Amino acid sequence: MGWRNALRLSAVGYRELAFQAIYAVRMGNLLQERREVDLRARTARRVLQSKIMVATLLGFMGFVGAEALDPRIARLLAPGAPPAVYAAALISGVLLLQLSFLWTTGLQILPTFLSTKYLPFLESLPIPPEDRTRTALLLYLRIFDLPALTILLVTPVAFGWALGSPLAGLATLPGALAVVLLALALALATGSFFVRRVQGSPAGLGSAALRWLFLVLWAVPAFAIYAFISFSPEFLARLTALTLHPTAALTALVVAFPFPFGFLPTLLAPGMGPAGIGLGPVDVAALLLAAAVYGALLTLLAAWLYRAPRAYALLLPSAPNGARRGPGPLHTTGVVTALLRKDLRIASRSPAYAFVILLPLLDALVLGLSTFVGHPAPSDVFRLGASAVSTAALLATFFGPAFFATEVMGYSYTRTLPLGVRSLLAGKVSLIVLIYGLAAFLVLSFTIARVFQPFLLVAFVLAELPAVVAAALLEIGLLFRISERRGLAVTNLYTGAWWAAIVTVPGIIVAGLPLGSFFSFGGDLGALGVMAGLALAELALVLPLALAWARRNR
Amino acid sequence: MGPGENGGRAVPLRAEGLTVRYGEFTAVDRLSFEVRPGEIYGLLGSNGAGKSSTIRCLVGLQRPAEGRLRVFDDDPLTDELLVKSRIGYVPETTLLFDSLSPREFLEFVASVRRIDPEVARRRAEGYVRAFDLGNELEQPLATLSNGARQKTLVVAAFLHQPSLLVLDEPLNNLDPRTVRIVKEILAEYVRDGRRGVLFSTHTMEVAQQLCHRVGILDHGLLRGEGSLPELRRRIDRDGASLEEIYLNLTRAEDAVMDAVRSLREL
Repeated sequence: MGWRNALRLSAVGYRELAFQAIYAVRMGNLLQERREVDLRARTARRVLQSKIMVATLLGFMGFVGAEALDPRIARLLAPGAPPAVYAAALISGVLLLQLSFLWTTGLQILPTFLSTKYLPFLESLPIPPEDRTRTALLLYLRIFDLPALTILLVTPVAFGWALGSPLAGLATLPGALAVVLLALALALATGSFFVRRVQGSPAGLGSAALRWLFLVLWAVPAFAIYAFISFSPEFLARLTALTLHPTAALTALVVAFPFPFGFLPTLLAPGMGPAGIGLGPVDVAALLLAAAVYGALLTLLAAWLYRAPRAYALLLPSAPNGARRGPGPLHTTGVVTALLRKDLRIASRSPAYAFVILLPLLDALVLGLSTFVGHPAPSDVFRLGASAVSTAALLATFFGPAFFATEVMGYSYTRTLPLGVRSLLAGKVSLIVLIYGLAAFLVLSFTIARVFQPFLLVAFVLAELPAVVAAALLEIGLLFRISERRGLAVTNLYTGAWWAAIVTVPGIIVAGLPLGSFFSFGGDLGALGVMAGLALAELALVLPLALAWARRNR
Repeated sequence: MGPGENGGRAVPLRAEGLTVRYGEFTAVDRLSFEVRPGEIYGLLGSNGAGKSSTIRCLVGLQRPAEGRLRVFDDDPLTDELLVKSRIGYVPETTLLFDSLSPREFLEFVASVRRIDPEVARRRAEGYVRAFDLGNELEQPLATLSNGARQKTLVVAAFLHQPSLLVLDEPLNNLDPRTVRIVKEILAEYVRDGRRGVLFSTHTMEVAQQLCHRVGILDHGLLRGEGSLPELRRRIDRDGASLEEIYLNLTRAEDAVMDAVRSLREL
C-alpha cells in the first residue's frame, strides 16, 4: 500500500481511461476493430501520438516566444518599449497561451475522466481511502504528464537561452509551474461545473438559455486569453505608453496574473535587473509581493488538487427536482434540422463542444465590438469587419472535426436508424455554416451600426460562404472516409490530434485561399470578384468528391 | 417457408447461411432461420453464442462474411435505408446520448424516421403514460436509471410501428409492471399476422412464455429450432422446460453439474 500501490492502480486506470477516450464505447460508440488487433497497444500508441503533438505545440510556443525577444522583432512589435517590459509581457503572453492550451486539452479528456467509472469502482474495494485519493491524483496527473513536463522544461531552457542567463531561465519556472497547476485546477473545476450544473440541466427553452449563458461565462476566461493574444500588439503599445508615464494603472497591471511571473526572469537577466526594468521601486516591490502572494495561493491550490480528482470523479449529475409533467407534444423536424438540433442540444450540455461553437462567435463579438468602440476611420471599418469575418470563417472550419466527433455518442444506436450519410454530411456542414453565419451577422451588426455601408461587407460574407461550405464538406467527407476504414474516429486534441490535424489543415487551406486572395489583390471590389470566383471553384471541386465519399460509406 | 406458405404475406425476416467472422474467429456459422408473419421468434443462447452478432448484421452494424438476410424480401445491404425504416430496434445496452432528455431523444428519432408530428405525439404520449415515464421525460438521460433509459429505448422502437421488431434483451432493467406491459404489447403487436418480432434473450422463462418458436444458438451454430412441443419431441422428453431443452441441445447439462460440484468443493 502507499504511493507504489497508487501508481500501479493509476496505471490500470489510465489504460481504461485512454481506451474510453479513443473508442468512447461507454458513450455508445461502436467498436469496429477486428479481434486480432491489439486494441490496448493501439490505444496507447494513439494517445501517445496526440500527447506528443500537443507537447510539441506547447514547446513550439515556448521557443517562438523566446525567439521573439530578438531586438529586431521587439522594435517591430513594441517600438520604444523598455526591453525588460517587453520581455516580461512576452513571457506573460507565452504563459497565458500555454495555460489556455493545456486547459483546453484537459477539457477534451475531462468528460471521459468523469465518466470512466474506474475510480467509483475502486471505492467498492478494500483499498485505504488515502491510497484511493493518491490513485485518483496520479491518474489525473497522467493525463497531463508529457504536455506539462514540456512546459516545465522548455520554458526555462528557451527563455534562459534567449535572455542569455540560465538563472533568468530558471526564474521562469515558478510561472511555468503556476500555469500547469492552474490549468489542472481549471480543467477539474470547470469539469465539476459541467457535471453539476450543465449535464443534469433539464430540457426546455428556459433551461437551455440558462445553460448557454453558463457556457458563455465559462468560456470567457479562455477567450480572454485568446483575445489577449489577438490584441497583443495593441496591448504592448499601451503597456509601453504606461511605462513612459507611470500611473496606478501600471501598478495594477504588473500585479495581475501572470505578470509578476513574467517580470521575475527580467530581474535576473543581464542588462535588465531592477535598475533597468523600467519600473519604479513601488511597482517592483508590488510585483515581488504579488509573486509571493500568488506563490502562496498556488500552494493552497496544489493542496486542493491533491484531493479534488477523487472527489470530482465520484460526483454524479444533479437531477432536477421538476414537478411531474405530462408527455406534451413532440416537435419533429426534417432530418438535417434534427441532426443540427441534436448537436446543439448535446453542445449545450458538453462544455468541450460548446466551446468550439462559442469561440468563433465570441471572437466575432469582440472584434465587432472593437470596430464599434475603437472609432476607426470609415475607410477602415470594412477592413476590420472583413478581418473579423475571416477569423470567424477560419475558426469555424478549424473546429470541424470536433463537430464530427459528437457522432460517436450513441453511434451504435444512430447507425440503426434510416439515416443516410448524405444527411449526416448535410447536418454537420449546416452546423459549421450556421456558426459562420451567426459570427458574420454579429460583425455586420456592429459595423453597420458604426458606418452604414452594408453592401461591401455582405458581399464579402457571401463571397466567402462557398469556401466555408467547401472546407466543411472536405473535412467531414474526409472523416467519413477515415471512419469507413477504422470505425468512427474520435477526433479531439487529446485522443485524435493526428486525425484532427490531417483533416483540419486542408480545410483551413480551402477556407483561407479566397480570403488570402482578397487581401493580396488589394481588398477592393475586383479582389472580391476573384475571391468569390475562387470560393465557387473550390466548392465545385469539393462537392462531388465529398458526395462520392459519402456514397462509398453507405 | 416462402411467402406463398404464409398466405401470400412477405416473411418479416429470413437468414440464409449467415456467417459472421471477426478476423479468424467465427462468431456465427452458416445460420439459417426465419421469423414468420405474426410470429415472435426467440433467439436463445449463452454469452458469445452469436445472438448479438446476428442482430448487428440485421440492423446494419456489422457486415456478414457470407450468407444473406432478407427483411420483407429486401436486402439490408443493398436497401439499407428501406430496411432500417421497417425495423424497430432495442439494443442490449442503454448507451445513448447522455446529454439528451428522453423527449429530445424521441424527437430526434421521430424526425429521422420522418413520422408525422401528430402521430408521433399521440404514440409517444401513449407509451410514456403506459410506462410511467412522464416524470423523467425532461431530464437528461445521464441522470436517469437504467430502467428509465430502457423504457425510452422501447418507446423509440415502437414509435413508427415497425413491421419487424428486433429486441436484444428488451426486458433488462425493467420493473415487473413494465415487463408485463411489454409482454402484452408484443403479443398484441403480431396478432394482425403481418408483423414479426425477433427476440433475443438469456431468460428461458420469458422465452417460454412469449415466443411462438425459438432458435437455440451455441458457439455460432443453430443447435435446435421450433415451438416448445416440437423441441420436447426432439429431445424426447414430455413436459421438459425450455431450460432443460436448452441445456440438453447445447450439451451443457454435464458441464453445469461439474461446475456446481467444483464450486461446492471450494
